[in-house]
Amino acid sequence: MREKENSKKIEINEEMKELVIARVEAQVPSNLSLSIGNFGRMSKAKMLEHIRKGDGIGKKIIESHIRFLRAQSSGEVTRALVSVG
Amino acid sequence: MKKGIIITLPRHDDVTEYLSVFSKEILEIAESNNILCRKLFDKEANKENFERVINKTNHKLIVFNGHGTENSICGYADEPIVKEKANEQILSDKITYARTCDSASSLGHASMQNNKGGCFIGYSLPFQFYCDETWKGNPAKDPVAPLFLEPSNLIPISIIKGRTTSEAHFSSKKAILKNMKKALRRADSDSLAIAEALWNNYYGQTLIGNKKAEL
Repeated sequence: MREKENSKKIEINEEMKELVIARVEAQVPSNLSLSIGNFGRMSKAKMLEHIRKGDGIGKKIIESHIRFLRAQSSGEVTRALVSVG
Repeated sequence: MKKGIIITLPRHDDVTEYLSVFSKEILEIAESNNILCRKLFDKEANKENFERVINKTNHKLIVFNGHGTENSICGYADEPIVKEKANEQILSDKITYARTCDSASSLGHASMQNNKGGCFIGYSLPFQFYCDETWKGNPAKDPVAPLFLEPSNLIPISIIKGRTTSEAHFSSKKAILKNMKKALRRADSDSLAIAEALWNNYYGQTLIGNKKAEL
């Protein structure tokens, strides 16, 4: 169980940051707000601000996106979705 | 041990307001299943009150709505209610569902270290959900938040209905995946964002302790 938690840590680089900025810009409509962590609700503009700053919440958002992308590319998402029929 | 539930409903910011509104489903099902329910609203959701209530009622199922850290579960105004190396042992014989961020990373494990048949279900990542700002003043009508909060509600609801902690945990994860599929099939402008945040909750949802615990 602790091994899975260790694998949750992601080393973030500039390329990842730019990728996630592009994803949020393209995929998050402006009528949605995200609640994540203790940071309350964030508009799309606030999400982008935090990602660009690279602060604590910005890093959490980047990690979440990168984790999803990795799970998609490894097939883990597809396998999980297929498992529910 | 009496069949009962203690639930915190802090409501001190937008996030906790949403969690509390969507907890109504849990409360209704508890009532219809004749489960005693002790609600800690707003400022009642503090450490002293929680400890007093748990000692007095000995209710087995605990549902925390609120913010959290790796080492703590918070109540009103983000003050810790349960904190590692302080009072985590209070959960050792309980079934706990922590709808908070990160608390399964460390506190969950600590609380189950001297496990007395208890179980901790929570998140080892920040719990996420999207809301539709159009419905900010009326969360109950928000069409987006239920995609996240209804699968989450399934954990305590399944336990209330007699399922084991393992069954509840996997029912919830299955419901998350079904909502991911629903979102992706719609292929709307928000589908990928919703799927990504749902995956975060699916990946981070963790069961620690007794998988066969029942209410």
